[in-house]
Amino acid sequence: MGIENIGIENMGTKIHKIENTEIQNVEINNTEINNAENKKNRKTKGLLTVIIIGVLFYGYVIMCYIKPAQDISEAERRPLAQRPSLKAESVLSGEYGEKFEEYAVDQAPFRQQLRSSKVMYQSIVMRKLDNNDMYLSNGYISKLDYPMNEKSVDYATGKFRYIYEEYLEGTDVAIYMSIIPDKNYYNEKLFYPSYDYNELVVKMCEGMEYAEYIDIMNQLELESYYQTDTHFRQEKIVNMAVYMGERMNVALDTEYDELKVSDDFKGVYYRQLGMPMKGESMYCLTNSTLENCKVYDHENSKSISMYDLNALNSADPYEMYLHGSLSLITIENPLAATAKELVIFRDSFGSSIAPLLATGYAKVTLIDIRYLPSSRVGQFVDFDKQDVLFLYSSSVLNNSETLK
Amino acid sequence: MVFSSMTFLYYFLPVVLLTYFMVPRVAKNGVLLLASLFFYAWGEPKYLILMAATILIGYFSGLIIEKNREKMSGRIALYVALFCCLGFLIAFKYVSFLPLPIGISFYTFQLISYIVDVYRGKVKAGRKLINLFTYVVMFPQLIAGPIVRYECVEKELVSRTHSIPMIREGIVRFVIGLGKKVLIANQLGELADIYYKVEENSVIFAWVWAIASALQIYYDFSGYSDMAIGLGRILGFKFPENFDYPYISKSITEFWRRWHMTLGSWFRDYVYIPMGGSRVGKGRLVFNLLVVWTLTGMWHGATWNFAMWGLYFGVLLIVEKLLIRKYIENAKCINHVYVIFATVISFVIFSSDSLNAIGINLSNMFGMSGLKGITDETLYYTVSYGFTLFVSIIGATPLVKLIGSKTMKVAEKYKLDTVVESVVLALILILSTAHLVDGSFNPFLYFRF
Repeated sequence: MGIENIGIENMGTKIHKIENTEIQNVEINNTEINNAENKKNRKTKGLLTVIIIGVLFYGYVIMCYIKPAQDISEAERRPLAQRPSLKAESVLSGEYGEKFEEYAVDQAPFRQQLRSSKVMYQSIVMRKLDNNDMYLSNGYISKLDYPMNEKSVDYATGKFRYIYEEYLEGTDVAIYMSIIPDKNYYNEKLFYPSYDYNELVVKMCEGMEYAEYIDIMNQLELESYYQTDTHFRQEKIVNMAVYMGERMNVALDTEYDELKVSDDFKGVYYRQLGMPMKGESMYCLTNSTLENCKVYDHENSKSISMYDLNALNSADPYEMYLHGSLSLITIENPLAATAKELVIFRDSFGSSIAPLLATGYAKVTLIDIRYLPSSRVGQFVDFDKQDVLFLYSSSVLNNSETLK
Repeated sequence: MVFSSMTFLYYFLPVVLLTYFMVPRVAKNGVLLLASLFFYAWGEPKYLILMAATILIGYFSGLIIEKNREKMSGRIALYVALFCCLGFLIAFKYVSFLPLPIGISFYTFQLISYIVDVYRGKVKAGRKLINLFTYVVMFPQLIAGPIVRYECVEKELVSRTHSIPMIREGIVRFVIGLGKKVLIANQLGELADIYYKVEENSVIFAWVWAIASALQIYYDFSGYSDMAIGLGRILGFKFPENFDYPYISKSITEFWRRWHMTLGSWFRDYVYIPMGGSRVGKGRLVFNLLVVWTLTGMWHGATWNFAMWGLYFGVLLIVEKLLIRKYIENAKCINHVYVIFATVISFVIFSSDSLNAIGINLSNMFGMSGLKGITDETLYYTVSYGFTLFVSIIGATPLVKLIGSKTMKVAEKYKLDTVVESVVLALILILSTAHLVDGSFNPFLYFRF
């Protein structure tokens, strides 16, 4: 009995063992199947990732190889690097490698879109306050211009003093000085550092004690400036020009026709920031006085129009005003009520205000000493009884190394 | 050529990968070798000869050592080879006024490990010169590590498999490394650079700079290591890990088990243990640690700040080993604060140009140089880079990996994991390219070592 029992028990254990083994075998088989499926799944998933990334990657690579090289970047207003020529000397010195990288970066397909996506990622996702010193605030693109560069301001006043001592001292000219504040001045924002513009004014006045300061800070406001450009809008500075005329004892025209020249003006800041923004409207002002004015470009020895509409399609549409960066221009106004003349030492801001100032003078001469060295000014202008205005933006005064 | 360049990403790499996978198995090492020589010569072709000479010394000495391991001639071959390798390194890195050959510290250490391991009988001397050349000059790890030992890749050099999962794994690792380098390290580098450019510094910004520098070095180097490991995986190799979230360590001892792991283990196996390691008296232990850590510091460069950096860690490790190890292991939170504080200070030493600069930077941080607490300008930059700093701090912990794997599990349920993975990788790749195209700040810190 006991033995039988033991036998049955043993049998039972055996059967149980066999069942367990079978179950285990089935489980092993299932595991193997699962493993094989997982492996297959992993491989399929891996394949999909490899294909997706591979197509994206090699698609871009093909474009890198076949895209024709561009000469300039309109957005950045600079020439783009070209593929360097292969010379043993440059290869051995490692120069070829450096130049090739510059070429690869500059000629990258979708360069502008990539630049935009970087700006948007940094400002929207990473909450960065600026990109390459450019930022968007209250719908206006601004540039960080901090701190005040005292050396630069000293350099500018030094250049102006040279002009004063060389050409103006001892003559009957009336000398004026005015500073156009950067739009940052009207667009203060939490955390963004800006220097004290009053300090700049004090420093300029101290360095130009021979000139009468015309304060135009209160004549402008944020809306006076383009949203996407560094400059002010001509149609918004009529009152400022009239005020300046009053200070120089000249009556300027106050009535103009606003001629819309563009609905899609995108200034230099737009291109530098690289963020998508709407274009702005752009106007130029005209009236019978201005229509009768004769403008002469002494740099190229030819008569030019007051406004160059062709520039609207260029990299810098603001160059529409008086054809942009010309070193020496005269505007003669045959309808002027006075024989007074004005000489303006100016930067690019002067291009849009000069036509308005011209309505009160018989002749306006614009001199840009960034392009015409101050030592040569005497060859072109005789200073006698004119009004002389030094009209510069704070950004040029703070970065004045370009003044010659 | 560095990985985070348009030349490498979109001109060199695609051609190499295409050629590598198109040629038969037998020609793969040849393709890899040629590509690697081209990669190295791109920046500095003149130093190819130096590297080739070092490899030839390693190759022939390996063969001689293996044949004569138990004999005096084997030992002489070992010493001659070590003398030559270290001689080149010292001559070019510490004595010469010539520019430093790229990657010399890395490939010299790899060859030394090979020669010593052959002598110890841990690895067989490579018979095929092409394989040893390929091992040393393999472009993924040539100029910035990880320091791959011959034993790690010995079999793979002869025969290795390539598979879709391995390529996928490599792509994932490479793209993540690229993102760490370009999207984080370069931004932190910009911030660190601003410290030297602001009109007036402040105490808070000195700390921001110190933290940003410590994080930049981590992201820069670990990102590069990720890219190297990823490329290795695509090409069928398994390189050793180099970083394992070092900033979560509870002690400096642990920090060095997680930071530049291949360098730490190299010094442990080839300098510290041969000197007797820790199985010696206290005096000797202190001596051993000071020697090893001064050498570790000096490996990074020929300036005093690197020697001081190494010595600083040597002293900390001695204090930990002999005095405070038990206390800091049990001191929750305080140990993390201690490690972060100690490592941030260490990277101030590391990042400063001279001993004088170390003094200035430390006094700026501790308010001993009369700086204001904060200025308008430094507040601006602190706020502007605040989120970048926050993201990089979080990214230096395993949290991102944890969130990533949980997200993938959820995505897997809906069979969207491949899509999610591909979209994330594509985004990182596009954004990194965008930053390379637009950015001017793209130094690579470990390139100079």
